[in-house]
Amino acid sequence: MKTQTCFALVDCNNFYVSCERVFRPDLRDKPVGVLSNNDGCFVARSSEVKQLGIKMGTPLFKVQNVVDTHGITVFSSNYALYADMSSRVMSTLESFAPRMEVYSIDEAFLDFSGMREDLVSYSQSIRKTVQRSTGIPVSVGIAPTKTLAKLANYAAKKWKKTQGVVDLSDPVRRHKLMQLTPVGEIWGIGSRTQQKLNALGIHTAYDLAIQSPQAIQKQFNITVSKTVMELNGVSCIELEPMSPDKQQIVCSRSFGQPLTSVADISAALSEYCTRAAEKLRGQHSKVHCISVFVRTNPFSRCDKQYGRSATFKLDVATQDTRVIVMTANTLLNHIYKAGYRYQKCGVQLSHLVPVSTPEQMLLLDSQRAVLPKENPTLMAAIDKINRTFPKSITLGSALSKGAWQPKANQLSSHYTTNWNELMVVK
Amino acid sequence: MTNATMQPIATMTRAILIPNEDVPIEILAKYHADKILHPAIKLKKRPLPLFMGKVSAGFPSPADDYIEKTLDLNELLVQKPAATFFARAQGNSMTGAGIFPNDILVVDRSIEPVSGKVVICAVDGELTVKRLIMEAGQWKLRAENTDYPDIMIYEEIDMVIWGVVTNVIHSL
Repeated sequence: MKTQTCFALVDCNNFYVSCERVFRPDLRDKPVGVLSNNDGCFVARSSEVKQLGIKMGTPLFKVQNVVDTHGITVFSSNYALYADMSSRVMSTLESFAPRMEVYSIDEAFLDFSGMREDLVSYSQSIRKTVQRSTGIPVSVGIAPTKTLAKLANYAAKKWKKTQGVVDLSDPVRRHKLMQLTPVGEIWGIGSRTQQKLNALGIHTAYDLAIQSPQAIQKQFNITVSKTVMELNGVSCIELEPMSPDKQQIVCSRSFGQPLTSVADISAALSEYCTRAAEKLRGQHSKVHCISVFVRTNPFSRCDKQYGRSATFKLDVATQDTRVIVMTANTLLNHIYKAGYRYQKCGVQLSHLVPVSTPEQMLLLDSQRAVLPKENPTLMAAIDKINRTFPKSITLGSALSKGAWQPKANQLSSHYTTNWNELMVVK
Repeated sequence: MTNATMQPIATMTRAILIPNEDVPIEILAKYHADKILHPAIKLKKRPLPLFMGKVSAGFPSPADDYIEKTLDLNELLVQKPAATFFARAQGNSMTGAGIFPNDILVVDRSIEPVSGKVVICAVDGELTVKRLIMEAGQWKLRAENTDYPDIMIYEEIDMVIWGVVTNVIHSL
């Protein structure tokens, strides 16, 4: 017989806001928000900001008056800081369970199966350790399935009384909570599925849990029927402890303001390619397929709309920034059309293979006739310099700084990734 | 068994080199490709792990066997990487403890802040570095400079300890 599974979902509370507060203790009890790329919308809110009624995804300009009246401190997204703090939290969590799955930048599943400890007090010690080591507050949800662990975590966050830990091992407790929880809050139930479920009279998580998985599979799909099983304590979604190297790397962003000239878009694209190539080399892969897309702003009513993407398959995989930038810019020239106001472009690297994969010599020569010769030593040197002095070496094509750069007017310091931006103590 | 066979073996031994150019090379090497220490060895562009310095034919260095990894300051200064942060010192309040303006402080958040430790703390939201002292039943933050008075930690003071300073990096 299989032993009863047990998972814990550890989730950082208002992660981006918490990261900012670690280095700004003066903001501990103050309203703080973090904006999306380009300073557009709220993507993280402290509890004070939530109480002021600002919803996730609210554009800053719509609530500027609330921000001003209540003195909300607003930050641009500082991804370098959040990524560093995330890896600190994750490596602290690692020591608490034999297996762990990093689920997102601020969440991880721990495998508690077969553990004999009192799981609630064990989880309290996890919270204390993470808070102390990294300064980041976390909540823990414990349950026999990942879906229920997610639900437990939702409850731990929602009700202060729980002190940040909820254990749903007990079916009675589980049912009580599920009756209070809208079905849309369940992990894996998207807004469309939710609408469909509601139409069938399924409103709470409990309503869904008492359905027959077979019937649900017929009406929906296997994923939703798995959710039904998971809500009943039958584990169907396993832990995925290995974080396999990414099978594709995407680097895309909205421009600070609409762009019309191909030269400006090319500068932005070259910068994104440089980032993507760095990531590629960071995971010791090389790339066969390079895709580029451009598009106008779909929400703008006054602009003519256009969007196009193009892909090129290299005969010989590369990890050379110059090859990627050249290829991407060639693609851009194919798909760019004058007369549009472009809002976004991006590059996608796919069909990735490990660096050690051998190449066919014949093809190698034909490609080398048109593209720069691979130079791993040069790339390694550039990566090394850029790690110490971020973005100090870049290709000429990415140099034209200007309108494409996203707005980040409220950026905090790179406290943990740049020697020149350390926090100052008196 | 005679006494003679119990004698320690006195024969000189010497490591010999077996050239073997076709040893399959571990992928591991890619992590260390920039750290390969012996430029005299031709690698034919094949990556080579740090510990496999004897694969190639040619003239190996007699020091090959003694190669160890280079000293890493992180080992000396950072016990818990996940909990270790760096901060920049400002002002003269801790010169007596060897902390001067512009020095870099190594801060370990996981260490218990007990009396006597130099700590970073937030007093009324402002970050400061001081020595934490428990004296006659009273917690204080003490500067290591007589120009600065002790800060008494009374109940009503908003004080949070941020981390314990373990090392100071001071440029000369």
